[in-house]
Amino acid sequence: MKEVNKDVLKDAASRLLFDMKDEEYETLLNEFDIITKQLKLMDEIKGLNDVTPMSFPYIDESFSLLRDDETLEEDLVNKEEMLNNAKVYKDGQVKLPKVVN
Amino acid sequence: MNFEAIIGLEIHVEMKTKTKMFSNGPIQFKSEPNTNITYLDLAYPGSLPRLNKQGVINAIRVCNALHMEIDHDLYFDRKNYFYSDLPKGYQITQQDRPIGKKGYLEIEVDGKKKKIGIERLHMEEDTAMQHHFSDYTLLDYNRAGIPLVEIVSYPEIRNGEEARKYVEKIKEIVTYLDVSDGKMENGSLRCDVNISIRPFGSEKFGTKVEVKNLNSTANIETAIDYEMMRQASMLIKGETIQQETRRFDETKKETVLMRVKTDAVDYKYFSEGNIPPVHLSDEFVENAIKTSNELYDEKLVRFENDYKLNTVDAKILLSSKELSLYYDEAAKNTDLYQPLANYIISEVLGYLNKNDLSITEFSVKPKDVADLVIILNEKKINSKQGKDIFAKMIETNKSPLVLKEEMGATIISDEGQIRADIQEIISQNPTLPDDFKNGKTRAQGFVMGLLMKKNKGKVDPILANKLIVEELNK
Repeated sequence: MKEVNKDVLKDAASRLLFDMKDEEYETLLNEFDIITKQLKLMDEIKGLNDVTPMSFPYIDESFSLLRDDETLEEDLVNKEEMLNNAKVYKDGQVKLPKVVN
Repeated sequence: MNFEAIIGLEIHVEMKTKTKMFSNGPIQFKSEPNTNITYLDLAYPGSLPRLNKQGVINAIRVCNALHMEIDHDLYFDRKNYFYSDLPKGYQITQQDRPIGKKGYLEIEVDGKKKKIGIERLHMEEDTAMQHHFSDYTLLDYNRAGIPLVEIVSYPEIRNGEEARKYVEKIKEIVTYLDVSDGKMENGSLRCDVNISIRPFGSEKFGTKVEVKNLNSTANIETAIDYEMMRQASMLIKGETIQQETRRFDETKKETVLMRVKTDAVDYKYFSEGNIPPVHLSDEFVENAIKTSNELYDEKLVRFENDYKLNTVDAKILLSSKELSLYYDEAAKNTDLYQPLANYIISEVLGYLNKNDLSITEFSVKPKDVADLVIILNEKKINSKQGKDIFAKMIETNKSPLVLKEEMGATIISDEGQIRADIQEIISQNPTLPDDFKNGKTRAQGFVMGLLMKKNKGKVDPILANKLIVEELNK
């Protein structure tokens, strides 16, 4: 497993567009230390690598998760309602500062 | 130094469904902005995705047409990135288990068939439409969530022409299957190109450049050929090719740098927890395939075998799906398949081309064209009358049989009557038989002219010619 140190946390924070104070990084590193030690306990379980990882408890066989291709009126959002959630809008569209050339 | 290009294409195709891939939001092209949106499309808290059955069926049909292995278990993943065209902060896609893999399609280059391998086809959702202005951007969420399939080729394409033909084939497949309108100009079929070059014989790949903003198959060919030249000229000069994204400038017909890729973007894919895996039964998959529309290649074989059309004519009729459907519909009314094909190709297409129309804008019913071909073939009218009736059909939408009566378009095929008229003409011009026998073939035309004048052009010309020759030889 990759070592979690201050540089790794700073890089992750930067990718998520925020930064923290030094003491906050220290707190977080201590927490990661505890988590890492807990995870290492799992190394003691025999045959762990032979187990297929499972992300879902079951697979749908009934097609109930496939919906018909029909509009549901109650799911529609009114344009005005949506625009009220936007800070700025123009011509019925959400207006944002341009971030691409 | 000679170089070869290594080209791979990523094609996004918008599926033709009534609603979005994971929400019940309607899909309507050219709607007022932000009117086809649901809670899920806007990522309102508590909204959950539900899979569109028709979107899955469409994807299966494309996979089948591309000879792919179809995964009967559907798994979805989240592709995480932070950008305003994606309110959820992630796109639902199929990263680990694409519905289709290991397929191919065939293109024809210089008369030879070439197989282009296809690595994968996966289902995902489209993003919101962004309209960029000088210093701001407007967002229309109508497009957010429209079903897409992404088709990723193996890097087996070697030049612009092959790439253009590959995209044309994909377009033909999705439009014939009727799973997409496949219009590059409207963005319902979009293509990104990855291209690198290497010296011939080298096994090592060169640095890959991505080209975006290609909105026609012609532009794909031009952009690739330009990019091959650009990269080759850089390598010859000893320069290094950067890993970058470029766009195609349609006016200058060249690629232009958009951004240099410093690092691969990490999308931190993980399973989409809100859509449990779905198992598709063999019956479901087989039924999706069985009920799919006929592909171009299948239709070509049918036109050649069932209608006995020659390949050239069949290909003209298949040049658009709508035209082929028009012919199919007309052919239900007659077994004069080749005359019908000839008429549609020469008269109907001639009219459409002259007036810059498509077959979908042609108001004459297929059955009426078939009926016109029948009465022409039975010589109930001559070709001049046929042209007049056709013009009236376009104008009035009346059937040719009604117009034939209204316009008094008949043809005289009574042998006795025609022969009597010929004999009368010859008796008034007694030197004609001798002239004819002495090789003056103009005599035959002279009689025909007078005969047609007398009968206002309504005489069956083939029968009349036969009788004229008989009478002149007496």
